[in-house]
Amino acid sequence: MKIYYHPPQDTSDTAQPPAASGTPYDTVWNSTEVPTQEPPPLEKVMLAEDKLYVVLAVTLVIWLGLLFVLFRTNRRLDRLEKRLPEEEERS
Amino acid sequence: MLPKYYRAICIGIAVWMTAVLLGAFLLDIPRLNILEHTARNLYFHVPLWFAMMAGFFVSAYYSLQVLRSSRQTYPLEADLRAEQAALVGAAFGLLGLVTGMVWARFTWYVGTGKWWNFDPKQTMAAVQLLIYGAYFMLRSNFEEPRSRSRISAVYNLFAASTIPFLLFIVPRQMESLHPGAEGNPAFSEITAPVMRLVFYPAVIGFIGLFWWIYTQRVHLRLLEEKLNRSSFLTRN
Repeated sequence: MKIYYHPPQDTSDTAQPPAASGTPYDTVWNSTEVPTQEPPPLEKVMLAEDKLYVVLAVTLVIWLGLLFVLFRTNRRLDRLEKRLPEEEERS
Repeated sequence: MLPKYYRAICIGIAVWMTAVLLGAFLLDIPRLNILEHTARNLYFHVPLWFAMMAGFFVSAYYSLQVLRSSRQTYPLEADLRAEQAALVGAAFGLLGLVTGMVWARFTWYVGTGKWWNFDPKQTMAAVQLLIYGAYFMLRSNFEEPRSRSRISAVYNLFAASTIPFLLFIVPRQMESLHPGAEGNPAFSEITAPVMRLVFYPAVIGFIGLFWWIYTQRVHLRLLEEKLNRSSFLTRN
């Protein structure tokens, strides 16, 4: 998208300049509040350190999922072991 | 029942994945706008999907073995292996989906609060997981092991045949955030050599992780079945 700037056409020497044309821009923008929204706290944390914590979150998801599987398997193995003495009694 | 040198292979996988982790965080990567450090998620998010596909491939293989076995007997081991491979594969797929959501939420969708983006690959991957979810629901409907194994094996083969379409062909035709999609350069064009150094070993490592968990669960299930049968036979 191109923005074209057309300077005001000044044909006469005595022409009145537009109202704010003498005001330098930096004084105008200095006082103006540029409207921005404060990012939510979660986003502030995740975007810190060049978004390194996003990588941490991804790694944590995988690690916790892995731990879940490991603990579940352990519990099933324990349940299996508990049944072994019963089988020895029967046989 | 377990393959020979099982412990040694598992230790090897653990060492390999530790090396992958170290490389993933310690090696310097090219820093791009928007992505910054999150490019490292490449080493985690993508290999999960490769592990899922490996799992579904193994599951399809054993489903074929189920169908090739005699109709009169119940192919216990092939059936259990098909089920466990699909289960562990689907678990890896679910992790891939969640990691993708977390990555996108804070990288490309900052400020929007959107966790789900209806990206074609993302959506098709969710559909894929639903298809395999239906496989488990189908299995739970049958009490009789023979019919359960055969009918679910047929469904499994159909489900496996959808993988190339849902995960590769459809997403590449549509506009998407993923590499290789309409308007995006392919993965091979944009991945820096230093990242490939960690990425390819990560794929191998995650498939190794899948294998570890899968063989452990198969062993567990076979032991359970053995105990079930012996207790059934000795019951008077």
